[in-house]
Amino acid sequence: MDMSQYRDLFVSESHSHIRAFNDLIVQLESKGADKSIIDELFRHAHSLKGMAATMQFASVAELAHAMEDLLSKVRSDEFTLTPAIVDLLLEGSDCLGGMITVIESGNDTTPDNADLTKRLTGFTPGSTPLPSPATAQPPATADSAETAPGRHDQTTSEQHQFRQTDSFKSVRVRTEILDRLVNITGELITTRHRLADQAQNCPEAQLDEPLGQLSALLRELRDEVFRARMLPFSFIAERFPRLVRDLARKLGKEISFRIDGKNIELDRGILEEITEPLVHILRNAVDHGMELPEERIVAGKSSCGEIRITITRDKDHVLIVVADNGHGMNPARLISRAIEKGIIDGAQAEAMTEEEALMLVCTPGFSTAETVSDVSGRGVGMDAVRSAVHNLGGTLSIKSAIGQGSSFILKLPISVSIINALLVDCGRLTVAFPVNAIDRALELSRRDIKEEGGQKVCSLDTRSIPLKSLNRLLGQPAPHGGAASAPAIVTSISGTPVGLLTDRILGQREIFVKPLGKPLSRMPAITGGAILGDGRIVFVLDVSVFA
Amino acid sequence: MGTTVMIVDDSFFMRNILRGILSDKGYNVVAEAASGIEAMKYLHDRKPDIIILDIILPDSNGLDLLESTLQSHPHVKVIICSGIGQEPIIQKALAHGAKAFIQKPFTPEKVIEVLASLEG
Repeated sequence: MDMSQYRDLFVSESHSHIRAFNDLIVQLESKGADKSIIDELFRHAHSLKGMAATMQFASVAELAHAMEDLLSKVRSDEFTLTPAIVDLLLEGSDCLGGMITVIESGNDTTPDNADLTKRLTGFTPGSTPLPSPATAQPPATADSAETAPGRHDQTTSEQHQFRQTDSFKSVRVRTEILDRLVNITGELITTRHRLADQAQNCPEAQLDEPLGQLSALLRELRDEVFRARMLPFSFIAERFPRLVRDLARKLGKEISFRIDGKNIELDRGILEEITEPLVHILRNAVDHGMELPEERIVAGKSSCGEIRITITRDKDHVLIVVADNGHGMNPARLISRAIEKGIIDGAQAEAMTEEEALMLVCTPGFSTAETVSDVSGRGVGMDAVRSAVHNLGGTLSIKSAIGQGSSFILKLPISVSIINALLVDCGRLTVAFPVNAIDRALELSRRDIKEEGGQKVCSLDTRSIPLKSLNRLLGQPAPHGGAASAPAIVTSISGTPVGLLTDRILGQREIFVKPLGKPLSRMPAITGGAILGDGRIVFVLDVSVFA
Repeated sequence: MGTTVMIVDDSFFMRNILRGILSDKGYNVVAEAASGIEAMKYLHDRKPDIIILDIILPDSNGLDLLESTLQSHPHVKVIICSGIGQEPIIQKALAHGAKAFIQKPFTPEKVIEVLASLEG
């Protein structure tokens, strides 16, 4: 019998068994040896074994069988569940995940796992404690599956669609088709803008009414296309409990972790982009945010800390809040560190609000950890987290209370690609800023612009903010002198408000942002491009790089 | 019409393989159930001649399901399907009225052989 036709099905169903297995085992640690959870774990291992044997992947079947046997002994009370058993089972599921990924890549030779299988079958409650999964290296393949961009997501989205095929009300659609639908919708919106522009030039054509209808239909089409791309947050969240658990164990911390609102849906593109930033925030929360159990007791708290991700949604946005009840951040300490590092000067420090001081952690090169640990001191920093959120047209804010904990708040649009942007003329260019990144637009008269220590400034509310020339930043000719006033947009760069002087503010427009090809995509300041109704191309700028 | 069969297995992958094997040989797969509850619903609605029943299901004990099936539909022939390591339950199931069993992993020939033996 030709089994190759069932391979995709095998891979996607195996991955979902492994994910469920990991999720359950983390629950087991927090809830104790709950019988129904052990039954479920047993069932997942059993199903995997049967499936793998059917596909003739003997080493997968053997490993799953060894896990099933060990669980069966726990189930029948022959063995009591101990952390050593949990570690061994997690090691098993990691290894299975790696093997399935190898199979997924088209390779039939899965890595040798005879040693692990032997340790599972030979396990006795008194045997030497086994290395914890936090220190044990999962197979290289499992690791690469986690980090390879796109790959992980592709698998998970296929599983999601796959689950839906159980009902005739749903069909499987490849994600590329959804991407193309968004593209076409975006092009239609651009074309509508062109039509509207031309209609203005010939009023006798009486296009207002059909254009209005077209707009309404396009809005509906856009909403439906975006709805088809939505996936629940749980899609990326399944590995978070395990991540928190492993890290907490490694660092000797006690943490209970929960996610509220994981059924709330976001565009799959956004989910893809925020996964790594969220992992970084979570790692930070465990590593830097949370105290050790003894420190917590001294501080009069329960020894077990709490980290919680809460997802809520309003009309146009999704809020993702990662909150911990650890020791919180000290704004004064952040400010003195920033001065020490030459990121801000004394005057800037004085003017800083508490919120701005907290945002200093998002400045490139800023780290308050006394020693850079191998947990959160590598890879993306908070500056990359903030850039990722901004590039999606969202905002990041931080709240913290000393002794009580910190919250990282990601405010994200529900969908990507079509955003509200502020269009600005600058020299020969028209550029677009996502409106979320702009605090306000100002029209400054000459008298408003002053000089302080060789730096142009203006007053905003009760303080003075630095002014920079957008023309100079973008290498454009300076505006003609003599104008009575100069427009400026106010944005936050490294947590401090900055005014960007420009030639003309054109206003807000809904634009369809497309990713740029190489070499433009390598420019850090440009996050994408859009075509306006009159055919002009505008670049969408990420203001945070102007720091 | 062909003999009608219901497949009860929580794995979509397994149900697909079984459906493929059975349809190739002219069996009429009238229902696929992923849980005990679904199985009971289809049992009343579709009245299959044969049920291929995975003994380990998310929501119910396969033995209980076997018992209630045979109580309400004594003529339906139940084939137990399960992986190695489940021999004690398989024995019990056979004692409780299951007609045969298929062990996972199976070959298409084995599945067809077991089904044919019930029709003779």
